[in-house]
Amino acid sequence: MTDALPLLVVVPIVFALAPIAVGRVRESAGWLAAVAATFVHLGLSVSVLATVLTAGRTSYAVGGYPPPFGIELVADGVSAVLVVLVSVVTLATVVYARSVGPRSNTFYSELLILTAGISGVVVTGDLFNLYVFLEITGLATYALVATGRSPAAALASLKYLLVGTIGASLYLLGVGYLYISTGSLNMADLAGLLPELGYDSPLVLTGFALIVVGLSVKTALFPLHTWQPDAYAESPDSVTAYISALVSTAAAYALFRVIYAVFTPAFDAAVPAALDVLVVLASVSVVVGSVLAVLQSDLKRMLAYSSVAQFGLVVAGFAVVNGTATLGGLVHLVGHGVMKAGLFVAVGALATVAGGRTIDDFAGMADRAPVVSAAFATLAFALVGVPPAVGFAGKWHIVLGAVEAGRWIVAGVAVVSTLLTLAYFARVVERLYFRDAPAAPDVADHPDAAAAADADAALTADGSGTTAEAEAAADSIDAGPPTVSTQARLVVVAAAVAAVVLGVFATDLISIFEPVVEVSFQ
Amino acid sequence: MSGADEGAYVESTIIMTTVRAIAPFVFTFGVFVMFHGADSAGGGFQGGVLVAAAVLLLAFAFGIESTRAWLAGPLTRTAIAAGGAAFAAIGLGAIALEGAFLEYVAYGYGSTGTKYGIELVELGIGAVVSGVLVGLFFSLASGDFQLSAESDTEADATGGDES
Amino acid sequence: MIDLLVTHYNYLVVVVLIGIGLYGVTASPNLVKKIIGLNIFQVGIFLFFVTSGYVDGAAPPLLGHGSGPYASPLPHVLILTAIVVGVSLTAVALALVVRIYDAYGTLDEDAIEEVRTHD
Repeated sequence: MTDALPLLVVVPIVFALAPIAVGRVRESAGWLAAVAATFVHLGLSVSVLATVLTAGRTSYAVGGYPPPFGIELVADGVSAVLVVLVSVVTLATVVYARSVGPRSNTFYSELLILTAGISGVVVTGDLFNLYVFLEITGLATYALVATGRSPAAALASLKYLLVGTIGASLYLLGVGYLYISTGSLNMADLAGLLPELGYDSPLVLTGFALIVVGLSVKTALFPLHTWQPDAYAESPDSVTAYISALVSTAAAYALFRVIYAVFTPAFDAAVPAALDVLVVLASVSVVVGSVLAVLQSDLKRMLAYSSVAQFGLVVAGFAVVNGTATLGGLVHLVGHGVMKAGLFVAVGALATVAGGRTIDDFAGMADRAPVVSAAFATLAFALVGVPPAVGFAGKWHIVLGAVEAGRWIVAGVAVVSTLLTLAYFARVVERLYFRDAPAAPDVADHPDAAAAADADAALTADGSGTTAEAEAAADSIDAGPPTVSTQARLVVVAAAVAAVVLGVFATDLISIFEPVVEVSFQ
Repeated sequence: MSGADEGAYVESTIIMTTVRAIAPFVFTFGVFVMFHGADSAGGGFQGGVLVAAAVLLLAFAFGIESTRAWLAGPLTRTAIAAGGAAFAAIGLGAIALEGAFLEYVAYGYGSTGTKYGIELVELGIGAVVSGVLVGLFFSLASGDFQLSAESDTEADATGGDES
Repeated sequence: MIDLLVTHYNYLVVVVLIGIGLYGVTASPNLVKKIIGLNIFQVGIFLFFVTSGYVDGAAPPLLGHGSGPYASPLPHVLILTAIVVGVSLTAVALALVVRIYDAYGTLDEDAIEEVRTHD
């Protein structure tokens, strides 16, 4: 029983209250609270990982009430690694937001609550507790997306809210079906009770369907992904980096837990049609996401559609119900979090330098921002699946597992998506390196980070607003082309390095995940 | 949008008299419900909503701006922070006393300790909920809340997840 | 069939509420009506949980308050939590609607789409 597990959730919430309490008195309370909370969270998650590596799976009974009567928090290889990912991404976002993002106290409060929610999703072992933490995550995400200054951000957030709430309510209905039929909400307990009920009973099947649909809305699989491009494109850069790395990751992790810990692979053996449908949907999501990404010219929307495709691949890896594919899905889940966060930070940094966010605006940026461009190229090729980066490790295992299980469609779709990913990233890299920069970099300078929040509004408005704002900004700051902030450079380089390192040590990562997956397959 | 409430307020003797009579009872009932979470029906969220409803009654009867000047601001923020801190303190105190998070028996008072522990937590939750709802109402009514209200609603959600 | 409907009328009400709620969210062009539809949808789901936890002639789940079948407090507590979540969501949604109204001057979804595409 390690006390670090509930503290992972409680500590960020407690620190989130501090800016509310003292925010009117001290303006910097938000950032201090966020930094303190992030470091404590990082220490706790590393200690949880250490405990799991030495002692194996640990569980924690909240309130001392033994499961299945009480809420159980579980830490095994998968959740420990994901909690460390949460800490690292939070640290990166807090560092990056110091220079570019919103700096209000409410932003830091919301970020900490989001961290608490995602940590809760990752460590919980109880289905209804998962719903509560999913909704906390969702609420904080809606509020964070809405911190973008433009009204389009509020619209994107409202759309996300409506779709996400319906998804979460469907998930709740599915949990209700399972609870009514078995009387238990604990994941491990349900794994034992469901076979007694019969995997082909309509209650169990409907419960599965509703839970999967609800979680697919949160993971943004086709055709339930429509909220994602708007939400990612309209939110501030730091927010996009954070939510792209973690929010859908938490929902995909929840899907993994539901398929493997609650409905064990025995469910797939009894009712293969259920997971077959999920495989088909995930495969369609991969293809559609990649195709739509190729068609985009706004980089953030392109990366958002790319997320749709990558999560389709991850869920296909889970749904194939093969050990290798599941391990590949988990590795890709972790790797995608790192790579997507780095990519969004890089896009934000390059957009600051280039003055625009479309692919044509990025022409020749490699001369003006060499480090960030190099890191962007590294991350892009890592996502495509060039060895030895982590994208390759994940995709390789997914394809291998799919072939082992005889699912040639998944293997084919993975190859097609790799080609399409190469297509849309190669375009951007080519513009960065092999084109010349436009003549005068003065149309929309965003020299200081304080004006970068206005940049989103300026970019979404038409050109007439941009020059007025640029003049106002230029008056207050001394002249000079905008450069990438140190924090952004640090974060992007760290992400690129992490992507490659994770890929090199992918086998170690797999060995951490392996006991968890093996247990489900018994 | 900020001028909307001036136009919306209509002084009505019936409403003012009724509210003057009823509001104390609603408030008392709300606090009563807050105190009863452990072995009878009731709890923090329900009581908090009733207390907030009493404040909203006053706002509708006597003018939103004047009620806001009286109540919103430091009082709601203190309520939210104090309620959340109380909840966290009780939970973390149990950890400090070698128990699990929120393990009331770790405090050493047996089953009465559990009952009063639960009720203290319910009071904390009630403070958070009423603070959030009152603050939200005044922010929405004045329409100038931009970014501060969204954070308050998350405190609401987290305060209620243990109820 | 009629027998089934008469004894399980609560599920019928749940289905009707969920249908009305979903229709409100999808078909209504007014943003506030979408939020109301969302609330009705959620109320349907809550009703499902609460009514399925009903035990005929059950005693409250406290020692010394009767014997025999005790009504489980768990569905009610789950739904209480879900109601809190629903209230928070409605609050965030209404805050967003206020901001959208400030920016666009209308709450009609089609009008806002026109304004955005003509921008």
